[in-house]
Amino acid sequence: MMMTSESAVLHALRCIGSAEAGRVATAAGLAEADAESELIDLAVAGLVTHDRGPFGGWTITPAGKAADAARVAAELDAAGAREVVAGVYDRFLGLNQELLELCTAWQTRSVDGAIVPNDHADAAYDDRVLGLLDEFAPRADAVCAELAAVLPRFGRYATRLGGAVARVGAGERQYFVDDLEAYHTVWFQLHEDLLVTLGIPR
Amino acid sequence: MRWVRPLAADLADPVGVIGAKAGGLVLLRRLGLPVPEGFVVTTAACRAFRRDGRPPAGLREELVAAVAGVEAATGRRLGGVPPLAVSVRSGAEVSMPGMMSTVLGLGLTTAATGALAAETGDPGFALDSRRRFLASSAAAGVAHLPDDAVEQLERAVGAVFASWDSPRARTYRTLHGIPHDLGTAVVVQAMVFGNRDDRSAGGVAFSRDPTTGEPGPFGEVVFRGQGDDAVAGAAATLPLDELRVREPGAWAELRGALERIEAHHRDACSVELTVESGALWFLQVRREGSGGAAAVRVATDLVDEGVIGRDEALLRLSARHLRDARVPRIAPGAEVDVLARGVGACPGVAVGRVATSADGAVRMAVEGPVVLVRPETSPLDVHGIGAAAGVVTARGGPAGHAAVVARSMGRPAVVGVAGLVVEDGVVRVGGRVVAEGALVGVDGGSGVVVLGRPPVVEAGDDDRLARVLGWADAVAGDARARPDVERLAAAHAVLRARAASAGR
Repeated sequence: MMMTSESAVLHALRCIGSAEAGRVATAAGLAEADAESELIDLAVAGLVTHDRGPFGGWTITPAGKAADAARVAAELDAAGAREVVAGVYDRFLGLNQELLELCTAWQTRSVDGAIVPNDHADAAYDDRVLGLLDEFAPRADAVCAELAAVLPRFGRYATRLGGAVARVGAGERQYFVDDLEAYHTVWFQLHEDLLVTLGIPR
Repeated sequence: MRWVRPLAADLADPVGVIGAKAGGLVLLRRLGLPVPEGFVVTTAACRAFRRDGRPPAGLREELVAAVAGVEAATGRRLGGVPPLAVSVRSGAEVSMPGMMSTVLGLGLTTAATGALAAETGDPGFALDSRRRFLASSAAAGVAHLPDDAVEQLERAVGAVFASWDSPRARTYRTLHGIPHDLGTAVVVQAMVFGNRDDRSAGGVAFSRDPTTGEPGPFGEVVFRGQGDDAVAGAAATLPLDELRVREPGAWAELRGALERIEAHHRDACSVELTVESGALWFLQVRREGSGGAAAVRVATDLVDEGVIGRDEALLRLSARHLRDARVPRIAPGAEVDVLARGVGACPGVAVGRVATSADGAVRMAVEGPVVLVRPETSPLDVHGIGAAAGVVTARGGPAGHAAVVARSMGRPAVVGVAGLVVEDGVVRVGGRVVAEGALVGVDGGSGVVVLGRPPVVEAGDDDRLARVLGWADAVAGDARARPDVERLAAAHAVLRARAASAGR
């Protein structure tokens, strides 16, 4: 079962947090103008709101969260996918710990037990971490593929994660952790999506 | 014996064979310090186990013989009366903290637990020890052990060997450039029980404070607990000073021991310890590294104490130590009102008004700096972290989403603050209530959160750092103004060239 674009936009915003229309469109797999049009309709319905200002953007309202939770639960049951998603989620948690340790290894080094920022001066070390990310990525793709087989919207995560890891490989290393479309950023949203989909409180 | 060595003062095998933990225990024996009876299964046995998928021929017989040695020395019997229980711990050549398995209290079969209860007259203690045994063996992947003590031991040693290949351990080795084929040794020792009675405790002790370098002893203890409780942060720990108050004999012995170990290493050190009914035992010793500011202090103090020379002090410091020493932190020893302690996840100090929601942080940040305090973080909090100057969370560790995001944005962060509750615009922690808008300071290096604006030590305030850099310039014969790291590197180049020519 496919979600309507309105529901897809609402759910994307629920998982990515505060964002401009362009990021919502990327997450939902829509053109920016279409995403923006849906956001405006959702705002009229009181499900999302827009703030100006340096840290503003579109955000979901409490009513929007409730509506999204109901739609996502209905979609999960209509697809008969609860068991599959719950099973994949258990494996996701193992991968999650591994990825977070890789991100931490990328950001920090331990100097005699104290955490200090990784200054990225040791190319051999950085290459080892990136090598581990390359080993990790196919296992993450497999998880996304299993989810997408029962709920097609999860296919967006494989696309976005694949894009991030390719850009890291091409030397744009901010796409590991630091960018708004970085590997960890997208993974963190996938984590949120699984929690929302299964109705698990964080 | 081929695979097993007793932990004796005259054991001469290198750490490549017996592992760093056993090497440290042998050192403690040589220094005349109390170490529980035990033996070590070598890394060669681990390599054979990994190659063949089963324990090497002859290992079982050697374990039985080594256990007999411990039984003779302690007057106890594994699986018999009076009961002997042992700890089974990993110990590779290169320390891999927390990456491999440990089994505590092995030998506490149903019958042995009954015997321990009868012997001590304390069934609660015996059952607590049995519970710890079952929990640690389950965590090591050897649940449902047979009620036979030698069989248990062989299985536990195999589980520790197998834990060398756990995914986490493999990742750790890849990151730290440790070869995957080394294997781990396994240290088996008679249990000493920090959970024995009110005069028993487990803990860790540092000869100098690892966050400031101040002369100690410093550390943490858990009364009626095991050392692992303190290391893992699993139980509520007390400052080590509590040991001085409650067990002055053990405290005095500990001080003397730390002095002796420091004199041997000519460096700061740490020990894992257990006090059993007032008697002190050592379970592990390490030369202790510390963060940048602490490392600079330890190096200059050791020079002032006449323990090491200036050249050696310079060689012990790295570019990373110097960079870390320049990171702002709450001034050591300052009078501050500590609100909470957690785990420092992104070094630096942030001072701002408490916001309890991401939207609140965005709103309040217009007026001035904000510290975002959350139970956990989700993507819905990320714009709040962006708006905030610092972050505090109740849950999560240094490798959690919150920590990763805070570091990616360069926000000082303290995570894993136990007992912190965020509700209705207020923060509750440690029996206190802090309203949204209250001013707090966050030290993302030490993991401390204070009420009010704390005094902060900024770059260059540290006269010890200035002294070290002065020594570096003298060695290099170059006093031009340059970055710290270059001054140290120039001194290192001269000292290494000198060492190389002296060695020729």
